[in-house]
This record gives sequence, C-alpha cells and structure tokens, in this order.
Amino acid sequence: MQGIILFLLLASTYLMIIAKRMPALIRSFRYQSLFLFLATLLAAFHEKQIELYLVAMMIIFLKVFLIPYFLNVTAKRIKVDENLGLFVNPQLSLVFALIFTYCSWVLSVNLGFGQGSLQSMAVTVAFSLIFNGAFLMISRMKAFTQVVGILVMENGIFLFASSVSGGMPFFAEIAVFFDVFVSVVIMGVFVFRINKLFTHIDVNKLSRLKG
Amino acid sequence: MAIFIILGVPLLLAIGTFFVKRERFFGVINCVGYFAVLWASIAMCREVVLTGYIQALSNFIYLDLLSSVFIVVTSVVAIAAALYSIAYIRKDVEQKIISERKASFFYLLFNLFCFSMFLVPAVNSLGILWVAIEMTTLISAFLVGFYNSKESVEAAWKYIIICSAGIVLALLGTILFSYAFSVSGLSKSLNWSDMVPVAHILDKNVLKVAFIFILVGYGTKAGLAPMHTWLPDAHSQAVAPISALLSGVLLKTAVYAILRFGMILIKSGEIVFFAHLMILFGVISLVISSGFILVQKDLKRLLAYSSIEHIGVISIGFGLGSPLAVLGAILHVFNHAVTKSLMFFGAGNIVSAYKKHNMNTIRGVIKALPFTGIAVFLGMFALTGFPPFSIFISEIMIIMAAFVQGYYFVAALLLLFLAVIFGAFIFRFGKMLFGNLPKGMVAQGEPLSGKLVFLFLFFLMCGVGIVLVFKSKDLLWLTQRLLQG
Repeated sequence: MQGIILFLLLASTYLMIIAKRMPALIRSFRYQSLFLFLATLLAAFHEKQIELYLVAMMIIFLKVFLIPYFLNVTAKRIKVDENLGLFVNPQLSLVFALIFTYCSWVLSVNLGFGQGSLQSMAVTVAFSLIFNGAFLMISRMKAFTQVVGILVMENGIFLFASSVSGGMPFFAEIAVFFDVFVSVVIMGVFVFRINKLFTHIDVNKLSRLKG
Repeated sequence: MAIFIILGVPLLLAIGTFFVKRERFFGVINCVGYFAVLWASIAMCREVVLTGYIQALSNFIYLDLLSSVFIVVTSVVAIAAALYSIAYIRKDVEQKIISERKASFFYLLFNLFCFSMFLVPAVNSLGILWVAIEMTTLISAFLVGFYNSKESVEAAWKYIIICSAGIVLALLGTILFSYAFSVSGLSKSLNWSDMVPVAHILDKNVLKVAFIFILVGYGTKAGLAPMHTWLPDAHSQAVAPISALLSGVLLKTAVYAILRFGMILIKSGEIVFFAHLMILFGVISLVISSGFILVQKDLKRLLAYSSIEHIGVISIGFGLGSPLAVLGAILHVFNHAVTKSLMFFGAGNIVSAYKKHNMNTIRGVIKALPFTGIAVFLGMFALTGFPPFSIFISEIMIIMAAFVQGYYFVAALLLLFLAVIFGAFIFRFGKMLFGNLPKGMVAQGEPLSGKLVFLFLFFLMCGVGIVLVFKSKDLLWLTQRLLQG
C-alpha cells in the first residue's frame, strides 16, 4: 500500500515536470499534496501517533485546498498568458527528472537507509521531490513556477520527516506549516507587484540589477 | 527577566504603530523602546557571564554566551537604526516620497523584523530557529521592496525566492540532525541543549551530510559565496536604516545558526570537517567579493559586497577554531556590525542628498555634508582594517591564529585580498568624498538625531579598538568557556 502511494507521488511529480500550462501545474501539485496526505496518514496509522494524524489534517487543509485555491485565484487575477515558458522542453525535463530520481536513490543508500526497504524507497522519493522542485524553479520562466517549485521541495521535506523520524516535534511542525503558508501568501503579493510594475511575470526579464 | 523585555518591547512597539498615527512622535517612542532593549540585553549578558546559561518558558528559551553576544550586537544596531530612522523617515515624508500611513507601516515592519532577529538566538529548539530565520526573510522582503520601484521589487523577489529555496535545504539538514538523534534510541527532540550532551554517540556520516545541507542553506542567508547572488541587490535597494540591519545583523543570525549546528558536529568529533568547510567557503567569499569590489561603481552595492568579504573573514575565524581565532571572529561580528551600520547610514545620507548611487558622478561629499563626509571618511578606514579602529584588532587576531595553527596559505590569501580591498576602497571613496561640489549643490545642515547616531557608532568603533588591547586575556578566558558549550 505504501509502495503504491510512493509511486503515485513520484508520478505526480513527473506530471508537474512535463506540464506546460499553469492550471495543469497547479492541478498536479494538488494531486501530489493529496498523495502526501495519504502517505502521512498511513505513517500515522503504523506508528500510532496522534500528532501525525494532526499533521495529515494540516496537509489536507493547507496544501490540498487552501494553497492551490490561492494560487488559482492569483493566476486568474493577474491575467497573463498561462504558458509557463519552458527553458527546457518537456521530454528533456523528464530525462532530467529520471536522473534526479536515480541520484536520490544513490544518496539514500549512501546515507544508510538500507536497500529495498520501504523506508529507503520513501527517502528516495523524498529526495527526488526536493531535486525536482529545485529543477522546476530554475527551468521555467514564470515567477509562479518558482513558488510552486519551493512548495514541491517542501512536500519532499515533509515526506522525508514523516518517513524517517516519525515527524519533527509537533510544535515545530505546526510552526513550519504556518510559515510555509505565510511565505506562499507573501510571494503571491510580490507576484502581484511584479505584474503591476512590469506588466509581465517573466523572471528572466528581471535583469535591471547587475554586477 | 531581561529576555522578556528584549522580546516583548519590539512586539509592543509593533502593536503601538496601530495606535500612534504621527510618525514623528512614534520615531521617538521607538528609540526609547530600543534603549530599554539595549539596557536589558547588557543586563542579560552580565547574568549569563556570571551563571553560565539561562533557561526560561519550560526550556523554550535557552541563552548561553554565544546567543547573548548575538543579542547584544542586534540591540546595538537596532537602537542605531531606530535613531537614524527618525530623521530619515521624516525627510521622506516631507518630500512626499512616502505617505504618513506608509511611514507607520515602516515602523511596524521594522519592529517585527527586530523581534524575529531577537528570537533567532533566544530559542532552544532547532526547528523554531528555522522558523524564526524564515520569518526574518519574509518580513524584510517587504522592507527591501518598500519604495515599490522596479528595481526594489526585483531585488525583493530575488531575495525572497533564493533565500526561501536555500532555507528549505537548511530544513532538510535540520531533519537529518533530528534523524541522527532519534536513531540512536533517544526521545524525539530538536532542542539544542538536549542534543549537545549526546553528540558523541550520534552517527557521524549522517551528521556530516546534514551539516553540508545546513551550511549551504543557512549560508545562502549568511551571504557566503557562491550563494550570495541576492545580497548586493537586496542590500542596495532596502531603506537605508534597514540596509544597516540587513548587513550588520541579519547575516550574523544565519552565521549563528550555522554555529549552533557546527557545535554539535564538533562535539561528535568531526572538527576537521567543520574547519575545512568553513575555511573553504570563507576564502571563496573573500576572493569573489574582492573581485566585485574592484569594479563596483554603485555606492551601496560596494558596501554590500564588502559585507560578503567580512562574512568570509568571520567564517574563516570560526573555522580555525582556536580560542584566539574564535575570539577574533566574535569580535569581528560586533565590529563589522557597528562599522557597516555607520557606512550604510552615511551612504543613505549621501544618496538622499545627491539622488544617485553612482560613485563616479558623486563629488565633494565632505563639502556638501560635512558631518556625514567625515564620518564616512573615518568609517572607510575602519572598515578596511586600519588601526586604531576595532576591525583591525579582530582581523589581526584571526590572521595571527591562522599563522599559529600552520594555515599559512589561508593567512597569505587573507592578507593579500584585504590589501586589494583596501586599495579599491581608498580609490573609490577618495574621489567621491573630495573634489569640488557639483553645480547647484550647497552645504546642507544635518539633523541632530543623525549626528548622534554617527557619534554613538564612532565611539563604539574607536573605543572598542582601544579597550580590547587591554582586556584580551579576560575575553580569551570567556571564549574558552564558550567553546566548551
């Protein structure tokens, strides 16, 4: 069961990598967060920790509903064209994503999580989410993708935390969640401002400051 | 309890901005508040020196020598920035650059920013430390983009994205630390004071990988090259008092976070790994920043690159690890904060008088703004490590320690690049400060609060440099205690 969820998490990440338009990207992010919720729920069930149930609730509330909704609203209101502006085409991006997944497997083995066990699989998926999130940030033109990239990286970190150490201490985890949400809202505010001042949100054209 | 004053006053002042509408009046209240904070932080420092450490709020707050040093540095720069803001913000309001409402928004952000920076050294849990550092980014992004011009919004966007991405890696490192802690069969905790005593039984490989993530993550925030790319943009576009806070304190809070993790690594017996990484990043920062300083024309960007240089020096100092080097690095944290604040305040005055950043077109500052001109002139010598100013003492300590420990190559590089940067500064500032006044400029008077700030910082800059020579034995003893945890 856990293996299937991990596979789906990875699949949804690849969907984000090949997405060309903003709504598709946000939709795939929603799927990814949903699978992350299921993974956390399963971990909570196995380890019988009430705190992990609460974390799972936070994930479904914030990452499945609130943040994608907020991103959708922002995307509609700024009225720029929906193409993400790919520096790397989808096919090549997918190749990169596969390479990242392999690298994260090597990393998880080297960190001593054992081969073949479910935990090592979870760690592999978590690391590949982090790498792919970083890749999304640098290989797309629109400011939006950078926000989504950070969220993907953070999803990877939550998966990592819940699979290796049974989550962080509860208080810290809630604080991190709150912080993530606030940072998305603030980045949204800046996307608005960029759109207002520059009449576009292409980050590759933000090049006034040099040297 | 002094720590509650330190954390409480900025919060109360932040709430106060909603009730006090007149920014003139509020600026004065702000100053009084930060004076209380400074007093409380010195009282707290004294208590820590006498008792060793303070714990409060059921172990949520944990203060030892290291954290109290950083709190004192923060409060010194905070009161200077509060004092300087009075005149600076009033001028902006009078010239209709910002509205009265936006001025009180400035004070709200200023206080929240200070609160988050005081929180970083005060907390015990490494998870909350992460949250506090992310909070500093989020709040200061608004202060970087405060004037809402194209340049400042671009700088704020780069700042918030690069630092958030970096800090995600730091969170990964934090979780790896907690993983190393939990696999050794201990209870789940992220408290630093719980982790240090058991550091020697933790898995060293995991700790090493975790520390690389921490160094890259928090190093982005600290401005270590090659992760520094956001720094010159953000520091040059921020409001002048905030530039001082960013350069003087914010970078150091990230260094503080690296040190907290580094101390766990050192306790687990991996001191060589820690030392080599810190020295490597320090040297890279020094080399890269000196190149940019040589060709830089923009006044505030020049100062920002100089911050990268000094962070490199601090990083080398902590990397060397002997009591002398660590003492040098800690003093450098303080000295750089004081001197760089003075320079940014001076730069703020110059830019607002001339309305331009390019140093090639600014001439005759000493004639136009006599007080600021002389302060910047002296500050330039202090910043480049000229005796008798305080930065000279801390740099010479670090270089001495490098020679004593046999790092001849590092010491030689340090001396070479410090000399290069010294030359570049003299060349750029000499032309800008002297020379004839441009047509249409007249000598301007300067407000009292602005002059007071310069005197206060100058006193610290000069006084510390002279006093240190006689007190170095006591300080070395304290540093040894600090290294023991």
